[in-house]
Amino acid sequence: MKRQIDLSRRGFLGAGAALAATSTLRWSPAYAQEPQVLNYLSWPGNADPYLVAAFEQENNCKVAIKEYVGGDQMLAVINQSPPGSFDVVLADAEYLHLLKEADFIEELNPADYPLADYWPEFQKFPLHWFDDKLYAVMTDFGYLGLSYNTEVYKPEEVSSYAAMWEPKATGKVGFFDWYLPSMGCISLSNGNRPPFDIDEAAFEAVKEKLFSLKPQTAGFYTIADIFSSLRNGQAHLIPGIGEWVTLGLRLDGAPVDTILPAEGGIQWTESMSIVKGTPKADLARKFIQYTTSPAGQVAMATKADNKKSIPSIKGWELLNATMPDQAEFLRLQMDKPNVMDDWKAGRVALRQLPQQQAIEDWNDVWSEMKSL
Amino acid sequence: MTDLSAIHEKAAPPTGDRKPARRAMQLLLGVPVALWQLAFFVLPLIFLVVITFWKVRNFKLEPAFDFGNWEKVMTSTPFQRALFYTFEVASITTVLAMLLAFPAAHAIALRLSEKARARWIAFLIIPIFSSYILKVYAWQVVLSPGGIVNVVLQWLGLPAVDLLGGAFSLYVGLLTLTLPVVTLILVFSMMGLDRNQLEAARNLGASGWQVLTQVTLPAIKSGLGLAGVTAFLMSFGDYASPVFLTGSNPPTLSILIVDTVKSGSQWPRASVVGVSMLAILTLAFVLVQVVTQKRKIGGV
Repeated sequence: MKRQIDLSRRGFLGAGAALAATSTLRWSPAYAQEPQVLNYLSWPGNADPYLVAAFEQENNCKVAIKEYVGGDQMLAVINQSPPGSFDVVLADAEYLHLLKEADFIEELNPADYPLADYWPEFQKFPLHWFDDKLYAVMTDFGYLGLSYNTEVYKPEEVSSYAAMWEPKATGKVGFFDWYLPSMGCISLSNGNRPPFDIDEAAFEAVKEKLFSLKPQTAGFYTIADIFSSLRNGQAHLIPGIGEWVTLGLRLDGAPVDTILPAEGGIQWTESMSIVKGTPKADLARKFIQYTTSPAGQVAMATKADNKKSIPSIKGWELLNATMPDQAEFLRLQMDKPNVMDDWKAGRVALRQLPQQQAIEDWNDVWSEMKSL
Repeated sequence: MTDLSAIHEKAAPPTGDRKPARRAMQLLLGVPVALWQLAFFVLPLIFLVVITFWKVRNFKLEPAFDFGNWEKVMTSTPFQRALFYTFEVASITTVLAMLLAFPAAHAIALRLSEKARARWIAFLIIPIFSSYILKVYAWQVVLSPGGIVNVVLQWLGLPAVDLLGGAFSLYVGLLTLTLPVVTLILVFSMMGLDRNQLEAARNLGASGWQVLTQVTLPAIKSGLGLAGVTAFLMSFGDYASPVFLTGSNPPTLSILIVDTVKSGSQWPRASVVGVSMLAILTLAFVLVQVVTQKRKIGGV
């Protein structure tokens, strides 16, 4: 009987190896007990062979991904799955405290990870540490500001979020259909720093300001429609998105760009944690080590469908040595103006969940805005 | 006026009353479909209603008997607005579809040769079997500011028009969904018309309008009711056109269901919206049945 299982596993891994270069293995509950499969809960595309093939080869394993869209969905999946279903979770950093409170993630040993290679600003990233204990490691990040059509707007015209209320923008302001980044930018435009830690009066003011944008609104878009609405001219301005959308579009020739307006931008951060109850903590640790290594970081930054900034200086160095044009395009050059300048200048606030109100309260305001 | 279906009913051969075994067998043959409906419609529907009273704790459904979800949804402004808007959109689509489909159906059923009619029916059936989502995306390409219509306008030296993201694009999408089906229902209804009656009415001096209102429409009232209610049902529950052609601005009830699940996995509240939609659709269906039935009794 055991022999049969081994054979099946070999057969499976053999088939997996053959497919490794071209395909992504989709997660199944059946893989929970499979020692050579790393079960990975993540945003879409993060088990692309471009990112994981080298790790799979080195460790003679396969990465099986369960994709989610949005932190709520991630929490729903992890809450509804039996312990051991996942080994590694990649989460937006603002959700980590919920994962920690629900006891879903393991404490990590900082010595296991190349944090010393990171930009000093990110070595002790506040959203990753609880009671001075590490629970997650940053893999990539980016900024959210105001994305715009460069044929319609000059950079100086969009230097403030106020551009969205101008007559020129009537019917041309698009929104990513997610309350958090969209309302975060409105909060910034009202002068709230940090934008998600606001009292009731400030929250009420954000609500009023958001509602005043309704006549300007083109639509509330899914991820796919953000790309198409910017490209086809349906939306000329979209707050709360960033280079994760516009870099790829620009590479394809679309006239779009992102600016961090004077009121500031928001940083999104993706972080990896080991899921509590995993029987494969060793493999999980190796996967995080790989992703945060210089090679893993370069792959993360240059993935075709979603270009990102990376926190590892050694990753920056490898990128500049091997793909200088990409380093320039991504503003990850050491000796030139780069993405860290915005952080150092204090122009970026962390994306966080609402601090003084319930998530539901913010969601309700967003639903009301849509229905106005 | 004599109703055609009544004639058919009167003329129908006696069912096998005298052959109970045969009748039992005929009923038995219908059992699989009844079981299928029970398993995949009635039971899930009951479950959907039950879920409306459940709670969500830590993103997990927990059985409960709580009216909180109903209270929260029914008193929420976004729900009330979405309900009104969805009703308005479905009603307008129904009227538009009927107005556009009727003359076409009339021409196909009564004016074309048998061969040409078969071709037109095929033209109407084919779109039903092609992907609706794909067609909606195609409309995006056609109607967008940089799309085909505006390229042509630019080529003609005319100013660009904003067609995507408003009522126009929404109704284009919903008519793409409903028009072929509504036209087909009307075509089949009119094909059952007794042409001798139409001819007789004309010979007796009835005007075209009188023939239409006093002969044609009463004779196909069941078809009219079915076509109307089908257009209403399809557009009331549609998700793709409001999302992709108006950018959920504003949201319909179907969009509200998705939004409710997205934020906090609120399946119970989403089920409240779903059950409300089903109740409205059932009401619309019953209303049409009652109206057409009433006319039928009056007509015989």
